Amino acid sequence: MTARVACLTVLLLALPTFLTSQSYSPKMTSDGKPSLEGFWNNQAGSAPWDIEPHPAAFTVPAGTGIIVEPSDKKIPYKPEALAKRNDLRDNHIFDDPQGHCAPSGIPRQTYTPFGFQIVQPRGAVVILYEAEHAYRVIRTDGSGHVPKNIKLWQGDSIGHWEGNTLVVDSTNFNGRTWLDMAGNFTTDSLHVVERYTPVDQNTIQYEATMEDPTIYTKPWKMTFALRRNTQQGYYILEFACHEGERDLQHYTEDTGKTGK
Amino acid sequence: MIAIALGILLLAQNYTAPRTPDGQPDLQGIWQVRNTASWDLQDHTGGYKIPAGLGVVEGGEIPYLPSALAQKKKNFENRLTEDPVEKCYIAGVPRTMYLPFPFQILQTPDAVVIASEYVHTWRWIPITPLARYEGYESWLGDPRGHWEGNTLVVESVGFNDQTWFDHVGNFHSDALKLIERFTRTAPDTLTYEVTVEDPKVFSRPWKMRMPIYQHKDMTRVLEDECYLNAEDAGKPIRGGHPEDRGTPAAPQKER
Repeated sequence: MTARVACLTVLLLALPTFLTSQSYSPKMTSDGKPSLEGFWNNQAGSAPWDIEPHPAAFTVPAGTGIIVEPSDKKIPYKPEALAKRNDLRDNHIFDDPQGHCAPSGIPRQTYTPFGFQIVQPRGAVVILYEAEHAYRVIRTDGSGHVPKNIKLWQGDSIGHWEGNTLVVDSTNFNGRTWLDMAGNFTTDSLHVVERYTPVDQNTIQYEATMEDPTIYTKPWKMTFALRRNTQQGYYILEFACHEGERDLQHYTEDTGKTGK
Repeated sequence: MIAIALGILLLAQNYTAPRTPDGQPDLQGIWQVRNTASWDLQDHTGGYKIPAGLGVVEGGEIPYLPSALAQKKKNFENRLTEDPVEKCYIAGVPRTMYLPFPFQILQTPDAVVIASEYVHTWRWIPITPLARYEGYESWLGDPRGHWEGNTLVVESVGFNDQTWFDHVGNFHSDALKLIERFTRTAPDTLTYEVTVEDPKVFSRPWKMRMPIYQHKDMTRVLEDECYLNAEDAGKPIRGGHPEDRGTPAAPQKER
């Protein structure tokens, strides 16, 4: 009896996952991989400002956050890392690398409020972002990560397919990117595992597990949906950032403060 | 000797690019020039920070309108500060294709993507029909591609007037129209040919042509974050508030 209840419980728990991930059969690419191709927009709400739950503030919309693990929806910082986050947020907001036109890094690039496009050539999944005209070539050709002394803003990403899900493993980060405009930061020990699961024709469920034993007490996870841009004739136009960048100037003019 | 030369010639002429599974010429790979076109498109001796090199312009001359020559001269004089690449700006087209940095070509049945290491730029070149956004002005243009036999042909308009063709100040206006032709002419070689039209600057269309070679020892293109590197070096070149100049992008000073 106990065994049957346990069995049924497992089945009931497993069923929604099974239905979400397996009932939809995505279109396949010409080389037989699930197609994620197209133009996408994130449904991450106010995560660009703060990925943790936060109230509204001047020019900042309130948000319930995108963190699903741990259950308090907060990044499980070690105490000294939390102190650093708070200092960045309170005293160094002008150092946000995105304000300097730096690549957003992973996963911030995914919930930056601009569109992006997925293209699937042989041996790779390519993501072309409007924000900072950044891109990623996620290798699915079996090649390993680049040597560990190579540090990159966007990291080094290799992918594989688990059923319909694209699983992307990223390392080789330079530790200079932030996760939002609230001072949440990264180090060069960051390891990100992203999962892109197409759940219907116009939706990809996105998930990123963040691991960094130097600043987090345990891995944590965020999730949100990506929605297909179905606007007729849409394509991504260029976002030149450094070339016309005046954001820092505006910040300082608006607030009378400087970055330091 | 002649026999060997003849053999090489025959080999080159008989070469047909491999095909992708969907039947297009296969241009996928990581590519880079070995020339000095990014410094000077024309035959030139070496100069300060300019490596000597043979030209890539068909016929040697760039047919400037008389009214445009003064701007070319001014650009040359101010090249150390005004060359957009010295400012770490997007290099534009065709210069991104002959920068001293690699780029990667990726192909699907519907599109070709060209992703460059220099300031992480990408070009998405649809092969299928797509209406243009009228009035578009951009650093990299608005490309549309099609296949002609073994050749990828890319037609682009929608440029701004901010990029140069090279460090010595060869330039264009926002009336620029480019026709690029990429042909794989040997296993490790693309022949790259560009027709440049710009009636505001040139008296007739003109062409450049060069080989681009395949990297065989790279799994990926890396990052050249030019302006961030300049900040790191204490030589910020961006705009922004004067008091922000010198502010490193990095929050982590201990690195």
